[in-house]
Amino acid sequence: MKTNIIVFGQLTDIIGNDKLVVNNAGDTNSLLEELKKGYPALEDSKFILAVDKKLVTENTLLNTNSTIALMPPFSGG
Amino acid sequence: METKSGQTTGMKGRKPKNVFVQGAVAASFIADSIQKHSSKTDIGGHSIFLGQVRADVINGKEVASIEYTAYEEMALEKMHTIREDIFSKYDLICMHVYHSLGKVAAGEISLFVFTSSAHRKAAIDACEETVERIKAELPVWGKEIFVDETYQWKESK
Repeated sequence: MKTNIIVFGQLTDIIGNDKLVVNNAGDTNSLLEELKKGYPALEDSKFILAVDKKLVTENTLLNTNSTIALMPPFSGG
Repeated sequence: METKSGQTTGMKGRKPKNVFVQGAVAASFIADSIQKHSSKTDIGGHSIFLGQVRADVINGKEVASIEYTAYEEMALEKMHTIREDIFSKYDLICMHVYHSLGKVAAGEISLFVFTSSAHRKAAIDACEETVERIKAELPVWGKEIFVDETYQWKESK
């Protein structure tokens, strides 16, 4: 299973792109583990996750169509 | 009721509206927006907040512009929720919100919030609460671009 991820703000500097695809992530915890392995700088970054535009704070199951957003603290206005 | 300018009245069942504009919000656009309310004679007070890009000096480098990006779909859904909440809390006649995307130079306007009510208090309080919620809840990010073209990501205060 492939999971599509969109990346915002300063996290785009860490990832080097504004989107990426992660394989075989069944839930958000394993996705985060996988991401931090690939991008160790994420470990020291403040960010939250949205699954299909909803903020998630607890481990959340992903399905094939889920879109995950990695979002650093907002700074609009 | 909707008009071409994307106005909203206090009626139920509103659809998410686009609040994003490319680049700065022009003073003439704000003036037109005010002018359009002259036909709404039940309004007795307007409250307007304008967010302007500051030329902060950080470590000796001056901010020339802020480049805004957003998770637009999520931001519009969130803005819709904020709008619904504000309309149910305050006795408003209408509300308009415009937020910039892309580059906005120092001195230009990047956020325009405009609330109107029969009596001033509702418009003033609703405007303030809407601005605070936009800052806290909308997935929007500002990149401060310095005069020398280096940048840093903005941190909200």
